[in-house]
Amino acid sequence: MINKNIFKKTLSAAAVVAGLSAVTAVEAANWLMLQGTERPGAAGRAKVWGFVQAQYQTDSSDPNTTGLGDLYVPPKLIGPNLESQSQFNVNRARLGVRGIGMPLDSSVNYFLLAEFGHNGITSNDNDAAVSDASITINTDATRIRMGLFKTPGPEEALQAIHVFDYINFTSVSNQLMLERFTQVGDTNPSPPSAGGPVELLPGNSVNRHSAPVGAFRDVGVQFFDSIKSGKWDHSYAVMIGNGNGLNFGDNNDSLDTYLYWASELQMGGKGPRAEGLKIFAWNHSGTRTHHNDVTNEQDRKRSGVGVKYLKKPFRATFEYMQGEGMIFMGQHRPLHTFNDHEASGYYMDFGYYVPNSKWQIDLRVDSYTREENHPGSAQDDESTFDTTTIAAQYHINKKTRVTIEHSSRSFESETAQVEAQLEGVGARTAVQLTHIF
Amino acid sequence: MKKILGIVAAMGMLLASTAQAGEFADEKIVLQISDPNPFKQTLVLNVAGNVLKHYGQDKVDIEIVAFGPGLRLLFAENANKGRIKSLTSSGVKFSACKNTIRNMGKKLGHPPALNAAATEVGAGVVRIVDLMNKGYKLIKP
Repeated sequence: MINKNIFKKTLSAAAVVAGLSAVTAVEAANWLMLQGTERPGAAGRAKVWGFVQAQYQTDSSDPNTTGLGDLYVPPKLIGPNLESQSQFNVNRARLGVRGIGMPLDSSVNYFLLAEFGHNGITSNDNDAAVSDASITINTDATRIRMGLFKTPGPEEALQAIHVFDYINFTSVSNQLMLERFTQVGDTNPSPPSAGGPVELLPGNSVNRHSAPVGAFRDVGVQFFDSIKSGKWDHSYAVMIGNGNGLNFGDNNDSLDTYLYWASELQMGGKGPRAEGLKIFAWNHSGTRTHHNDVTNEQDRKRSGVGVKYLKKPFRATFEYMQGEGMIFMGQHRPLHTFNDHEASGYYMDFGYYVPNSKWQIDLRVDSYTREENHPGSAQDDESTFDTTTIAAQYHINKKTRVTIEHSSRSFESETAQVEAQLEGVGARTAVQLTHIF
Repeated sequence: MKKILGIVAAMGMLLASTAQAGEFADEKIVLQISDPNPFKQTLVLNVAGNVLKHYGQDKVDIEIVAFGPGLRLLFAENANKGRIKSLTSSGVKFSACKNTIRNMGKKLGHPPALNAAATEVGAGVVRIVDLMNKGYKLIKP
């Protein structure tokens, strides 16, 4: 006769183990597989999931005082609205459903996610927006994902944002990779100066881009797969997309191409925080059409390499990215985005998971340099954005954590006008609560 | 001498046949998986593993009977196939309901490919009843 207590304990232990497994029981730390596929034979018809991120940010930058009152440029204000230097915000509130529509057939799965928070995706109309909507067909030869989803690219962009170890992106990801789209009607602020700092008055927003940010996403088709070889996991992706971000349609006949390769030495664990050493490289190439002149086109090229190491208690990441064309020149200068400038940047990230505690400490150093070529400036003038961020995370439980970060910034430009705008850019502090469900 | 050898041989055959049926195990447990919830797949495998760990491989007989939506656990492609292989090597048996296989085959257009560890049984429920009649205790995580 089996003792009932033993069985109760066994079942309880199993339930706990199963519960923990549910958090991490997904493919290894391979974003292509994690986001684009489901566990064959072991995924439901519709798994509802999502996360909420609520935050407070404050910026200690000094305004530009030009005799015309206090003026501001984007780095001195909190996004996405750029209307103040401190604010509470629900920056992400995402609700999604994913699974295998016909559970008997794991060869087809889907992924749907909507954004209800307030950020660059939704800031302009305050409505919810679909951020991901894709179907994946798994064949013996390859996997085919079609729809709206994250493009294969840099680790900081491709990783799931709800496990991102910081609150704000690096300058290189924010400026070089997070594409801003310019629409008819977008204008640089004026007065007091064209493309210059802005006085915070009603109707005089610093944010002059009316379209949602690209959110590292595109609508298209991707061929990808993961190939295991011993302890190594090699993955590839080839994608063709509209090159128009979250917009479902295309605005020109050119298609963007995305190439990606990653090889990871797996060291244990599963899911987003699987341990391993990953090296990767990627390339994006596309063409953009001027929003006011369809005959005027500009190539947009991006490429990068990186390495990520995670073996608790340590984590280290390095990424280098470079780009040519469509270099972002500031949220207040949409008319300067259509250009053939070049830019490059990198970041180094270090993490330490304090043993036997719920604490995690993070340090990140990032640098981004863009050719300025601002009207009136000398050729090849450069602007450089250096940031050092220290952060700490306290994991209340497996699904909930508090993140606090402080960024020291040193922004400089060889262009006198831009240098004047960047004068006084100071530190930024943020605290964020994340809950995943 | 011949009689003695004959008796020993007969006893040996008897022991072998009863041991196959798990007669000498301290505990005999049948686990039912019939739920479509993938979480239940993890749970039933965890329970099997924990029971094995508690009693020891030689002291417990475990059979997992899958039918209805729960048969997906025994699909060849199932993401838990590594754990199934491990449990099989520890003596856990897996039974797949033929009725479910037939019905799923109609929907798929072909019979589902099953894990090599799965043994097809006439009907999952009947298999459970048969095992209970042999002294197995039914656990439905």
